[in-house]
Amino acid sequence: MLGEFTLIVVTSLACGLAVGFLLHRSDFCVTGMFRDYFLFRNLSMLRVLVLMIFVSMALVHGARAAGAIAYYPFPLLGVMSLTNILGGALFGVGMVLAGGCVVGTLYKMGSGSVLSAVAFIGLLTGSALYAEIHPAWAVLTKQLAVFGPAKTLPQAFGIEPSVLIMPTLLAGLWLVGRWARRGQLVMPAHADGYIQPWISAVALAVIGLVSYVVVGMPLGITTSYAKLGATLEAWVAPDHVASLAYFQGKGLNYTPPFGDQPITGGAGPELDAIAAIQYPLVAGIVLGAFLSALFLRELRLHYRMPARQYVSVLIGGVLLGMAARMVPACNVWHLWGGVPILAGQSLLYVVGLFPGAWLGSLILLKYVVRGPS
Amino acid sequence: MEQNGQIHKIDICGQICPSCLLIALKEVNARRELLLGGGALHIYTDSRQAINTIPGSVHNMGYQTNIVKSKGHYCIEIQKA
Repeated sequence: MLGEFTLIVVTSLACGLAVGFLLHRSDFCVTGMFRDYFLFRNLSMLRVLVLMIFVSMALVHGARAAGAIAYYPFPLLGVMSLTNILGGALFGVGMVLAGGCVVGTLYKMGSGSVLSAVAFIGLLTGSALYAEIHPAWAVLTKQLAVFGPAKTLPQAFGIEPSVLIMPTLLAGLWLVGRWARRGQLVMPAHADGYIQPWISAVALAVIGLVSYVVVGMPLGITTSYAKLGATLEAWVAPDHVASLAYFQGKGLNYTPPFGDQPITGGAGPELDAIAAIQYPLVAGIVLGAFLSALFLRELRLHYRMPARQYVSVLIGGVLLGMAARMVPACNVWHLWGGVPILAGQSLLYVVGLFPGAWLGSLILLKYVVRGPS
Repeated sequence: MEQNGQIHKIDICGQICPSCLLIALKEVNARRELLLGGGALHIYTDSRQAINTIPGSVHNMGYQTNIVKSKGHYCIEIQKA
């Protein structure tokens, strides 16, 4: 059992370090990709995101064909429900107001952003607050479920995944190839140590595959926010935390690809399989970005920002934390992991993400971002 | 009005994205007279995204930029082309 956890912890930490480093070097901000489309009609980074999704799709299905994938679809993926759209929309609003999504907050915080550290506190608070509404949300999710027990579109239509995946993949690669030929995947680069985002997109897709093969599922971090929130809340109100059903559940129950015994984990404060998978990943992303900024001599703390920006990131962080549990999960899990296998939950999440990011951009422009006064 | 040599400085380090680009564009418009008179606008930022996006946007408005890095942040120097 110890060996299984050691492999998971080491893999997650190594993946996290590499992800944090790349995200910082390329300023690979998924929130910015959506927000800048709505604010500036700038599609350039959204194209890079599409590249990452289709490279992930190609890698995962290549690995599946080679027999390297133990679970397809992967553990923790839920059934499709219209609540995924509502959660995605709230996530979109929250990430724009917080100045970064769940993973964006980590790499920005690691590279010295005080605002992202405040957003991180909001994220922990929102994730823990979700436990208060979980029973009602779970009922609503069940009532609004579509396609019964199916988790992916191929399952919903009762067909072999490759029947849908192959044409989608070919169309996607054709589109990405077209952008590449026109030079639309290359960004202007003036910052030191800048890594072109398309290079990071390919590298991040490879790292996602490593996690899928070794850990048994793609990169994911949001349950650990609820877990850390529960741990902190348990110091103040242990009886209340113990009474909440959400913190008692063990949503993860699987045998790791390189293990021989099942392991379990949930959002409660215990150090379980979720802690082994996600805590090292979170720590790695923060540390990877910290080291990147340190090597570039760009690590400085700036705290004299307008008060409205502090308020925005705190509120955005709380909304983001709650939404990350309502969806459930985040951009990394769904865009790197779910969309490439046509997971219904992930596709519905993306449907909600666009209007949410649009609304968040409007709020940001009207109430938060102003010129120097 | 001759404003040759005058420099207007703005520090937006640490601010939430996309403040830097929005503020830079707003300030370039507001300081048009200064820039056309030979003055310069210096924007201090630590946003790696802004460092990559501001020069292109400012060039499109007819100005030239120079980027200088020091003490953990970047200074985008903007003046007439």
